[in-house]
Amino acid sequence: MPIGPIVRAMKHNRTRFALIIFEIAITLAIVTNAVNMILAQREQMKKTSGFDDDNILWASAVPFAPEFKEQSYIENVVMGDLRAIRAIPGVKAVAATGFLPWQGGGSSGTMKAEGYPDKFQAQTYGARGDLLGALGAKLKYGRAFTENDTPVDPNESTKVCIISSKLSEKLWGKANPIGRVITSTEGQTPRTVVGVLDEFYNPYSWNIGDYVRFTPGRAYDGTGSFYLIRSEPGASKSVADALEKTLVKVNAGRVFRVGTVPQVKERYFSGNTLVIRAMTAVIVVLVFITALGILGITSLAVAERTKQIGTRRALGATKGDILKHFLTENWIVTSIGLFLGIIATYALNFFLVSQLTDTKMPWYLVGVGVVLLWLNGLVATIPPALRAASVSPAIATRTV
Amino acid sequence: MFLYNIRIGIKSLRRNPILTALLIAAIALGICVSTTFIALRHIYEADPLPGKSDKLFYVRLDNWDPARAYNADDPKSLPNMITYRDMRALMQSNIPTRQSGMYVAGMFAHPDPKIGRPFGVRIRMCFNDFFTMFNIPFQYGSGWDKAADAKPEQVIVINQDQNQKMFGGGNSVGRTIRLDDRDYKVVGVIGAEWKPAFRFYDYNGGTVPPEGVFMPFNLTPVLQLNTAANSDGWKNQADNTYESFLQSEQTWIEYWAELPTPEKQQAFRDYVTNYVVDQKKHGRFERPLHIEITSMPQTMSAFQIVPPTVKSMSIVSLLFLIVCSLNLVGLLLGKFLARVPEVSVRRALGASKFQVFWQHVVECELVGIIGGAIGLVLSIGTLQLIAKMTPQNTITIGLDGEMVFVSIFLSLVAGLLAGLYPSWRVCTIAPAMQLKVQ
Repeated sequence: MPIGPIVRAMKHNRTRFALIIFEIAITLAIVTNAVNMILAQREQMKKTSGFDDDNILWASAVPFAPEFKEQSYIENVVMGDLRAIRAIPGVKAVAATGFLPWQGGGSSGTMKAEGYPDKFQAQTYGARGDLLGALGAKLKYGRAFTENDTPVDPNESTKVCIISSKLSEKLWGKANPIGRVITSTEGQTPRTVVGVLDEFYNPYSWNIGDYVRFTPGRAYDGTGSFYLIRSEPGASKSVADALEKTLVKVNAGRVFRVGTVPQVKERYFSGNTLVIRAMTAVIVVLVFITALGILGITSLAVAERTKQIGTRRALGATKGDILKHFLTENWIVTSIGLFLGIIATYALNFFLVSQLTDTKMPWYLVGVGVVLLWLNGLVATIPPALRAASVSPAIATRTV
Repeated sequence: MFLYNIRIGIKSLRRNPILTALLIAAIALGICVSTTFIALRHIYEADPLPGKSDKLFYVRLDNWDPARAYNADDPKSLPNMITYRDMRALMQSNIPTRQSGMYVAGMFAHPDPKIGRPFGVRIRMCFNDFFTMFNIPFQYGSGWDKAADAKPEQVIVINQDQNQKMFGGGNSVGRTIRLDDRDYKVVGVIGAEWKPAFRFYDYNGGTVPPEGVFMPFNLTPVLQLNTAANSDGWKNQADNTYESFLQSEQTWIEYWAELPTPEKQQAFRDYVTNYVVDQKKHGRFERPLHIEITSMPQTMSAFQIVPPTVKSMSIVSLLFLIVCSLNLVGLLLGKFLARVPEVSVRRALGASKFQVFWQHVVECELVGIIGGAIGLVLSIGTLQLIAKMTPQNTITIGLDGEMVFVSIFLSLVAGLLAGLYPSWRVCTIAPAMQLKVQ
């Protein structure tokens, strides 16, 4: 295929081709950066908590009855709640704790550990009942809490703790940490590590999503109590329906709320979901628009050159020659556009990364974008090019 | 002449309905996408108190652990809130024209059993300046007075929602409601028009709607209240009493001051600096001196109120509009140049270059306006779709007047920019040349 004449012919219509070139360049820049944004969101959503998220429910009970000022009264009610919830058909385990997976926050504290020079920050939650069962979490080392771990006197501090394996590695490396001690920043309230969670992640505003210390403490007081409940697979709905009725029966002087961890997780990731959906829509619409643009402009080019095409046909060019002419023309334009587009892609990415906290553009994404838009250009050129090829040679004889 | 141009424009657009539909669809999609994402960004970025926000200042002090910064990874970080005792010290200053320490508490409201069961409410504990400082409109009554702060009196201000839930609506000023174990008298009901997209006076705990109940801050020690929101600390308090909690290094209070003039701002900065330096002598504030007194817009950007992804999306959406415009240029160019014979006749009959140019620009603007109007309607729908996807109790999503204006402006600019070059090309056609071919 002779490129020379095609390029020379294109020079007569510089503006039109410049338009397509810029359109394709910007389209590539937007599509690749949008896909990059989607991938970054996906990456964030890929994190796992280490728990049986799908089957965990939560319930909160906040008292308004005046009796909830007395510690022994509260204790009785919470123990009653735990027994009653455990008895609901379909419930595997329940714990009274301040922890809610995927909440995007919680409570944390600064601590010290034997053999670790600095103070450190970790999430910290109390838990009574079957915490590991309620989370569906696995232990790497050690044991779960027992009822004896919680001191009888509520003012006495707890003596043991369970930590995440990531925290254990940060403090003491790969070694088995059972028997090591974590204290307050002043070196008081020593708690011996009795268990290590294999996996733990709960997003937190500080960079401590992987670090946790659970204690067998009372995570409830006169302001209310909070429960994590793990159901049999598929029983989540029936357990959720039964929860409030069960808790009312134990003590009606409270206001209840019930929900599921999948809902909490969905809420936590709602921003990511929104970005993914919005950017997907933008990509689809944009590729469609660019295709329409190429289609429109090539159609006009064909309509304008009908006479010239007729002449070429009359002088012996085959239908295939005409088809090839338009496809080659478009291929040249698309290629220039994509070349500029690669530069624009990195420029936009650089701008977004410097202004905001976007991620760097991986090269393979640009490659995929280029191939996609090449195909897009080809598909959009075929209908008008076919129309051009079907121009009859007789046209040449009509008006000229 | 203008009306004539519009008539010609409509005629020309109707001649090729498919092409016209493409032109309009291109603009409509571009406007829809760009308006949606710019509006989304605007919700976070809009000035909540135009003309006043740069006179309101938020104070942060670095009272954190001498061994580690507030955020251990960033040595320049400092706590988002201040301690109770520091807030009390700042409130001693008479430099601000208005000022208020504040936090969120949670209580239970016990309405008349005929109206409803007890329910939890989030309460903003604040001083009486809060209402005037943040321009809060009242439907009935007003905020409480200085005397109510000083005493402190058991009074509250409620919003429309709470007025409905507690009393079934109406003028509730003077009525009482039981919150936890005490009765509180309503002194003001906030007007229904007060619906900020999010709680613009508090950025701790994300962009959420304002609380429904407001109560004098000074009831805090009386009721021994605790915050229902974030509370960050690094140092164990002396003992477990409420008094030592108030005197501790726990940061859980927000503090805003209204400082209308640069002189006052400087004077207040000096006041705060002197206070912290003096406290250092008493063994507090062991980290390097670090005080942030930032205006409301500065504070919003320090707390990264606009999510970075929303910023990225708004930039991408503007580029999207550019692609749509480029598309339009190509299509218009073809459309206009196909009309060369007709134009050359008009030119030969005496139409000036400008008249031809103007006629075509008007045609492009028609496309811009129609496409823009469709795009605007589409973007309202898209925003509603997004509102459905965002969880409740976060931002309120919608288009305001400013955004409608921006949208119309964008569609006019897109129509104009796309039309300028094709219109210029078509008006420079020499009349004689074309007549010869005919």
